Amino acid sequence: MKTILILILSTCFLITASAQDADNILNRVERNMSSDNRIFESSMIIHGNRVSRIITSRTYAVGDKQSFTEYLSPAREQGTKMLKLENQLWIYSPSTDRTIQISGHMLRQSLMGSDLSYEDMMDDRKITEIYDSKVVGTETIDGRNTWILELTAKVSDVAYHTRKMWIDTERYVPLREELFAKSGQLLKRTTLSEVNQIDGRWFPMKVVYKDVLKQGLGTEFIIISVKFNQSIPDHIFTKAALKQ
Amino acid sequence: MIKFLFKGLIRDKSRSRLPIIVVAVGVMLTVFLHAYIVGFMGDTIETNARFSTGHVKVMTRSYSDNMQQIPNDLAITGISSLLNDLDREFPGFEWSPRIQFGGLVDAPDETGETKSQGPALGFGMDLLSGGSREPERLNLQKSLVRGKLPDSPGEILLSETFSRKLKVNLGERVTLISSTMFGGMAIHNFVIAGTLLFGQEGLDRGTIIADIEDVRMALDMKDATGEILGFFRDGFYNDDLALSEADRFNASYSSVSDEFAPIMKSLSRQGGMGTYVNLAKGWSTYISLIFIFAMSLVLWNAGLLGGLRRYGEVGIRLAMGEEKGHVYRSMIIESVMIGIIGSVFGTILGLSFAWLVQEYGINISGMMQGSAMLMPEVIRARITPPDFYIGFLPGIAATVIGTMLSGIGIYKRQTARLFKELEA
Amino acid sequence: MKLAIKLAFRNLIGAGLRTWLNVIVLSFSFVIIIWLKGVMSGWDQQAKTDMTNWEIGGGQYWHEAYDPYDPFTFSDSHSPIPGEFRSEIEKGDMEPYLISQGTIYPQGRIQSIMIKGINPKQSIFMLPAHKLDTVMTDAIPSIIGSLMARNLKAGIGDRVTIQWRDNQGTFDAAEILITEIFTVSVPAVDQGQVYIPLDRLQSMMGLEGEATILTYRNSETPVVDVPGWTHRPKEVLTAQVDEMIKMKTTGQSVLYAVLLLLAMLAIFDTQVLSIFRRQKEIGTYVALGYTRRQVVGLFTVEGAMYAVFAALLSAAYGLPFLAWQAKAGWTMPVDASDFGMAIAQTLYPVYSAGLVVSTVLLVLLVTTVVSYWPSRRIAKMNPTEALRGKIQ
Repeated sequence: MKTILILILSTCFLITASAQDADNILNRVERNMSSDNRIFESSMIIHGNRVSRIITSRTYAVGDKQSFTEYLSPAREQGTKMLKLENQLWIYSPSTDRTIQISGHMLRQSLMGSDLSYEDMMDDRKITEIYDSKVVGTETIDGRNTWILELTAKVSDVAYHTRKMWIDTERYVPLREELFAKSGQLLKRTTLSEVNQIDGRWFPMKVVYKDVLKQGLGTEFIIISVKFNQSIPDHIFTKAALKQ
Repeated sequence: MIKFLFKGLIRDKSRSRLPIIVVAVGVMLTVFLHAYIVGFMGDTIETNARFSTGHVKVMTRSYSDNMQQIPNDLAITGISSLLNDLDREFPGFEWSPRIQFGGLVDAPDETGETKSQGPALGFGMDLLSGGSREPERLNLQKSLVRGKLPDSPGEILLSETFSRKLKVNLGERVTLISSTMFGGMAIHNFVIAGTLLFGQEGLDRGTIIADIEDVRMALDMKDATGEILGFFRDGFYNDDLALSEADRFNASYSSVSDEFAPIMKSLSRQGGMGTYVNLAKGWSTYISLIFIFAMSLVLWNAGLLGGLRRYGEVGIRLAMGEEKGHVYRSMIIESVMIGIIGSVFGTILGLSFAWLVQEYGINISGMMQGSAMLMPEVIRARITPPDFYIGFLPGIAATVIGTMLSGIGIYKRQTARLFKELEA
Repeated sequence: MKLAIKLAFRNLIGAGLRTWLNVIVLSFSFVIIIWLKGVMSGWDQQAKTDMTNWEIGGGQYWHEAYDPYDPFTFSDSHSPIPGEFRSEIEKGDMEPYLISQGTIYPQGRIQSIMIKGINPKQSIFMLPAHKLDTVMTDAIPSIIGSLMARNLKAGIGDRVTIQWRDNQGTFDAAEILITEIFTVSVPAVDQGQVYIPLDRLQSMMGLEGEATILTYRNSETPVVDVPGWTHRPKEVLTAQVDEMIKMKTTGQSVLYAVLLLLAMLAIFDTQVLSIFRRQKEIGTYVALGYTRRQVVGLFTVEGAMYAVFAALLSAAYGLPFLAWQAKAGWTMPVDASDFGMAIAQTLYPVYSAGLVVSTVLLVLLVTTVVSYWPSRRIAKMNPTEALRGKIQ
């Protein structure tokens, strides 16, 4: 009896301890991954039914709330710009000279045919604010030791009820993430790789998004170059900048 | 013998004229009614064909599997050569490429920013090439509420309800946001040329129609199309032919395993139309059979009366020593001749009337103000192969059976009493 | 005139078998005219009948935000079932539907669907909802239409993953197990629709006790004004179909005319023959001092009397037959071979009292005219020749 009680107590203690650990881990990841501002060039490889497309773009972002993206190639998308302010999104297309607001249910549409929706880019709440987390194990991925974190939503208005994250134990970079439905069904898997050190922080340069229910190769997102803590003029985050 | 009887029929007008007229009228009504019912019941099929399914439709295999999603990323490419092949190999059809697409239509305010927007279902079809039958097929001209049909590139038609919802007017610019065939973002400007009434709430909500070349440009679909619709040149759906032509087309691609290989589907193999085609076929057959039955009764009665009428004549012939069996047979042969002649005349007449109603139709649009695209305008008869023989059933069989029945009396008559009867 | 009627009556009865043959044939055409016209109207009405049986019942209450043409409204169009309807729902005379938007993944393809929660014990719709009434823990029992089944390339017993977002926007997914596939001619009930048990959908969505649509059985149910719900009477829901039916009625008149010609033909032949056969009789009438008009009148009355007899005879067996048909319908099994499933469709003939009365009157008129027409020949007859039976 006594031993059982001790066992239960220690398990409780362990869980609390690991919960704290998990939050700590996530905070460190947060510090590593996010920054006051950043400018990056990236290419997105979308594997379509017929062809794979590579779309390159340059993005200016301040915090999580403001971002401005200009598409550089291919020719058809060149000059298209996208502005996100809080939870609003505008797209400018040079061929039509129009600024169009994407709102409501349009946000659930796929972004340029990728496995990402506009909405996926819009949720800018801190992960520790909306999820309770705990460490549930460890695993080695590509020779890197990782903690496996299980995140369970603590607020109800969240897209994914549970998540699993594999965090590099040394670099505090997520190497894999899985998103689950309330029923526990796996919905999406993100794989992060090519972790480089930039301005003193570890940063994954390649991310692969995959909707696991759908066939296909998923969408690759590759950072070509990234700079942190730059001075970005405020006027970039205005609708007027879209037309320039 | 036959020649003799035939001469008799021709010379004795009372023996031939009336029965033939009656049989002919009966057969004419049967043929006409059948053609009319087939046309009447097939009306919904034709509306569907013109609007969405074609009599046959060519698309890629994957597109066909996902037709509900309007997946233009699975469109057919290289269609100019495919269209050439189709024209050459399947000349029985008129081929019309169409692109269906979904998207968002956005109307700008003075500063070029979003004033209003709404989800749209779009159709790209040949409106500008000249000689295109698409506007006629969809009754576009008559369904116009305001404005005109597009006559230059970059123009678009909106459903009237949609234009009101977006608060846009003729001549104004709207922007279509959709995806290209490759999944990229498609943003394209159009000028509103006119507005349409479809007469079906779902379509009136948010439908747009533009020339296919404009849509190709907007959706990056050079030399591609979502679907190629084929229409029988006589304008009527023929399920058996559509099925066999589709099989013929598909056989030539059977060895290709590519998901983008083209496939041809008959109207009855698309969506719920198969059930409908079968139902319409079944019901028109049943209804025609009932009518044929009724008509047979009438003609049978006529044959019966015709036989009874010749009571006296038969008596004289028997009295003259003609054999009973001979009299009976000759009467039956006569009735066969009457049946054939009547049926031929009747079928010709019935077909002519049916043809008139098939070509010109009966206009029923007077009941509504304006005209909606999906509402039938004219009801047409529809001549199908059975019309060429269907009348012979009541025409010959019923007449002959009637005569046979009335002729039985011949055997009951006794020669001894004949003269007595004739005196009366 | 009275004499003519009396005489005509005697002549007809006297002619025995021949008269009855004509009367029977004519009475058949009466019944068949009305019935076929009814069947054709029934065909036009079919869309409406099917809608009633499969989709709209006697009328509906919609949640005010619900818009069937805009799936994006579905996430906001639900609220608790109003207490006013409790007793009707308990009696089974009203059924709630909960509707949610979702996605289905057949063989890795992706397709948007409407998930409809329906009471497995319902009896308003012809949907085989009782097939949902099974206890299953690892999958959601569901029924789908044959078109949907074909799209999904799925059959009974197959499992497919569906994904949806609950009322908070959280993704959820589960497998459905297809327990039945039905065939229906109303595409809105079939295409893109997945039916699962109502309570299951309510708990999946976190919307216990809520609904999007309430359908009642009887179109005469008194309307209740409930805040947050819009009443949609049957005539509003079928307005589009009604419009179409109205249009097609004109086309029906051609059919009606052809059917009337059938009756005309039946009597025309008889009349011509009887005038030919009864020359001596005609001659006798004239010799007896009948004016020619009176003789023509007699024959016309005789012809019309056929129609009267036929109408009476038709009433004897036709009315019960027509009434039974309207109730039981005419069922034709159709082999919908494109999905290898046979379906039966029942056509309910539609005829009004007006149709019956006007048909009787029209046939009477037509017969009279048709009888009069050949009788005019009588007027041209030379009585002596007629007496001798010499006219050809």
